[in-house]
Amino acid sequence: MSGLPADESIQLVRQLARGDRSAFGRFYDAYASLVFTFAIRLLRERAAAEDLLQEVFLQVWRDAPNYNAERGSPEAWLVMMTRSRAIDKLRSIRRRDRSFVSMERPSGQSYDAEVESGAAASEARIMVNSALARLPDNQRQVLELAYFDGLSQTEIAARTNEPLGTVKTRMRAALQRLRELVGKETV
Amino acid sequence: MNHEEWLERAEIYALGALDGAELRDFEAHLASGCAECEERLRDSREALAQAAESLAPFAPPPSVKTALLGRIGAESPAPAGERRFRWSWPVGVGALATAGLVLLLSWQLIDTRRKLEDAQSRLGVVESEKAQNKEVMDFLSNPQVRVVNLTGVPPTSGGKAQLLWDPVARKGILLTIGLSQTPAEKAYELWGLSGSEAVPAGVFTVNEQGRVVFRLPTLPESKPFDKFAVTLEPMGGVPKATGPVVLVGNL
Repeated sequence: MSGLPADESIQLVRQLARGDRSAFGRFYDAYASLVFTFAIRLLRERAAAEDLLQEVFLQVWRDAPNYNAERGSPEAWLVMMTRSRAIDKLRSIRRRDRSFVSMERPSGQSYDAEVESGAAASEARIMVNSALARLPDNQRQVLELAYFDGLSQTEIAARTNEPLGTVKTRMRAALQRLRELVGKETV
Repeated sequence: MNHEEWLERAEIYALGALDGAELRDFEAHLASGCAECEERLRDSREALAQAAESLAPFAPPPSVKTALLGRIGAESPAPAGERRFRWSWPVGVGALATAGLVLLLSWQLIDTRRKLEDAQSRLGVVESEKAQNKEVMDFLSNPQVRVVNLTGVPPTSGGKAQLLWDPVARKGILLTIGLSQTPAEKAYELWGLSGSEAVPAGVFTVNEQGRVVFRLPTLPESKPFDKFAVTLEPMGGVPKATGPVVLVGNL
């Protein structure tokens, strides 16, 4: 989708930390599409994703000195930042409005089925050919509820009517499979 | 507890799903400096990041970058590595006078810098608006694009909008003016109507002047729309309209 060789992206973050605005432009060009696509997947709304994109890159500008390459790549740093902010927004909406569409999804109903029926059908296409789409359904479901909807393991167990132990096993299996998938090939 | 269980928790933690006592215990374990769990956490996060990278990409509009560059232009970079003035007490009147002069020059420098940053910020806004205008003009130059005028519905007073709608690509841009500022915890939602069937076409908020330039998401295939409407809904939008109709217009 985007990105730079690891050394180059880490070097750019170091330049950002020194206040290099041209480095910021290059970093944005390399990773804006990743953040924007992920934001659309999380928030399912383009305008909100644009706002989130701005927030994430402003945070990058401010927090670059705190980036530690030993704790992960710049891509992982960006993705974590994007998810964290998006989940905060989703949880805030959930608290204020229990009828929020994504939270009313009946257990077991697939994400694709719901989205295809709504205005965000185009967003469903971003799943096609992704590593996530290649996970078994029950593993993908728990991974999506956790990673994209921000539900805890206990909430997922309640949502899916499955024992907590089963949910944990499926989450671990999903993550292990994902590591294999992304490890074997560039997806 | 054997260490394999900590590694299991590391994976669930990477997904953001660990909760309760397990979360507290694991964070304490991490804080104790477990390198193996740190490594498992890092590997899991890298796998999730690559999964995010494998999604079919959406390109952000150029206006976002323009606005961002304007904003960081008005903002000092992060503190690490930033040069700071170091003051030492001068000795004697001459040194005091020099210090006063330096202080004055520093103040002028800060003031000039602030003005420059304000100018850069304003330039960012202008460039953002220019990019937005260009996008609208480009859209309008498409011969298949239709213009739909939406007007206020009583008892709502004021507010109107124009929707530039491409029925073939099923894309559009909505421009509003004079709408009431979006109430807290609410948002406006646009609908495409085909007879009695309403298709949600995106959620938006407006600024203090009731303005927004809102790009609709690409809408799914449906019967051709004959009308568009805007309603006021809970923030985040709803799949079926529940709030009052604010604007309506025929295609």
